[in-house]
Amino acid sequence: MWCGKLACAVSRKLGKGNGSSFPGRVARKIDPEILSVLSSMVKEKTIAVTGTNGKTTTTSLLAHVLSESGKRVVWNRMGANLMDGATTSFVLAAKKSGRLDADYACVEVDEMASVKVFPEIKPDCVLVTNIFRDQLDRTCEVDITCNQIQKAMGTVPEAKLITNCDDICSYTLAAGCGNPKLTYGIGERIADDMPAGMGESVFCPDCGCRLEYDFVHYGQLGVYHCPDCGLKRPEPDMTVTDVEFKDGAYSFTIDGRRIESGAQAPYNVYNTLSVYAALCAVDAPRDGFEQAISNFDYGNNRECAYQVNGAHVQLYLAKNPVGFQQKIFLIRRDPKPKDIVIQINDTVLDGEDVSWLWDVDFGYLHEAGVASIVTVGTRGADMEVRLKYEDIASRCGKDIRETVEELTRRGSRNLYIITNYSGLYRTIGMLDEMQAAGKERVSE
Amino acid sequence: MKVTIGHLYPDLFNLYGDSGNVQCMKKRLEWRGMEAEVLALCAGDEIDFGKLDILVWGGGSDKGQALAVDYLKRIRPDFKNYVEDGGVVLAVCGAYQLLGKYYKAGEEVIEGLGILDIYTERSDERLVGNLILESPLSASPVVGFENHAGRTIIGDCAPLGKVLYGRGNTGDGGYEGVVYKNTVGTYLHGPLLPKNPEVCDWFLERALKRRYGEGVNLTELSDEPELRANGNMVERLVTSGGRSR
Repeated sequence: MWCGKLACAVSRKLGKGNGSSFPGRVARKIDPEILSVLSSMVKEKTIAVTGTNGKTTTTSLLAHVLSESGKRVVWNRMGANLMDGATTSFVLAAKKSGRLDADYACVEVDEMASVKVFPEIKPDCVLVTNIFRDQLDRTCEVDITCNQIQKAMGTVPEAKLITNCDDICSYTLAAGCGNPKLTYGIGERIADDMPAGMGESVFCPDCGCRLEYDFVHYGQLGVYHCPDCGLKRPEPDMTVTDVEFKDGAYSFTIDGRRIESGAQAPYNVYNTLSVYAALCAVDAPRDGFEQAISNFDYGNNRECAYQVNGAHVQLYLAKNPVGFQQKIFLIRRDPKPKDIVIQINDTVLDGEDVSWLWDVDFGYLHEAGVASIVTVGTRGADMEVRLKYEDIASRCGKDIRETVEELTRRGSRNLYIITNYSGLYRTIGMLDEMQAAGKERVSE
Repeated sequence: MKVTIGHLYPDLFNLYGDSGNVQCMKKRLEWRGMEAEVLALCAGDEIDFGKLDILVWGGGSDKGQALAVDYLKRIRPDFKNYVEDGGVVLAVCGAYQLLGKYYKAGEEVIEGLGILDIYTERSDERLVGNLILESPLSASPVVGFENHAGRTIIGDCAPLGKVLYGRGNTGDGGYEGVVYKNTVGTYLHGPLLPKNPEVCDWFLERALKRRYGEGVNLTELSDEPELRANGNMVERLVTSGGRSR
């Protein structure tokens, strides 16, 4: 145990002001077993969250609900979801004595890292959010992502697998796993606006025949069946009913509980449902669920709203086609005139291949009350070209700060900033600063 | 004037935003006051090659390619005649490989269409990254992204271009892609055409001349954003000393 102790102390020291993965890396160097050892000290259950979109929100929602019901929870709150990131969250939660005092662990795990991480944390249950196309230069193909998660599930045969049965890709994934299973899905329309990104979900995984969809919520999530071999979306074990969208947020019923959420986006209805399913799967307390959801911030300290020079500025993260399409859906739902800044970078974190921008249907921005669009980032010019081929005017700006400053000073009152991953935290920092600077000026 | 663009199996071959190539061709015709008809040629559809001016065929997943094999066998004779007759074809990645004689993955050999005298063998190292070429099809360098495990041997065929940055056909041969009559096969995603407008116009011009005669010329378009996006990558990876990996 002295190893863990030392690693903890070392990493705490080194971890100051550093990223969310470095302490874990140091700790693993000193004691390669540290993650297995610490995670075995979790008193009740360990829940792993993987999948393409919504991992960070879902993990943080799980941790929030469990904490609200009085449980001590260890979780990777920074969203660092590779082996080192997962290790970091346990190491930082451990006491100097090397003991971990936690009732639950909620661990976000990258799809490709799941094969290595699952055997160490031995989750009681694995929640897969969805499987969409994402960073093809890293994961190659959706089929490869699925295979990887299936392999990972094979290393923890007792773990309960929770999947979204409205997603044919998750359905196929689950079919290939021998684990006990639980499904969630939504049978009434929650967003019927924008079918796009059906890429991997056109054909029946069993017989290759063209699937038929009764309807699609977004991406490929919907109610499907195969007219040939009879494969069909199963009746989900957990579902939501009576979905209402009013005053900018969703309310719905799960398992007889009426939930007034702050969720603005359809995908957060799924995320909330999946969390409830996970709680059921590990038999965690659910009494305060409604209350816990009603005070949860779905923006997650990442997708926040700001006031800059008198303008309302909403920041969104979009890193793959389905995610981006959902942000366009949200922007279109806002009836007020608006300006948009789109920041596209091509670091390793983002994926160096930006061709995914062509899988987003930007045509929906035509009737969205958009006054101007400025593109920035290392691939801002690519973004401008993408929009040009949709006959949407935009200009490529040099610098995001300059652009936001200029737009808000020139009278933009409603500004959306969409960024992919590598620009996210810097943009948050920038907007915090700009907002604070404005407040200072007001108080002077 | 009207140009008919067939998008081959968009339901099976739709990786890496390759539909952007179709969009690019369509817009560049429309901006010049011409008509563009796009036909989505889905798996199982009857294909009348006589109607087509351009055929665009993208990259697919292994599963998608496996599903396509039977459909491809059926269209092979018409497809081959179309190519030999100077029909315009852009085939990217998986489609590029399938135009050749075979794709060998370990012990498994997947039969290709054999329309071009080329073949592909899978290697353990996947070639993933930006790819920049010098090509007779374009005065500006051709910029895109490659992502392939196959090594394609083009024999005596002409390549699409010489690699300035990246790996290309065989990873170390210095060349990328293939050009045969009016058919181009390449590993370049991006998608290829929007950032390489001259390459797009090469296809359009070939198609127009084949249908309407040699007298047809394309009017110039303002390609300022396209060339800037292109130039940024050339500047970053070639001009300022970027090296092939």
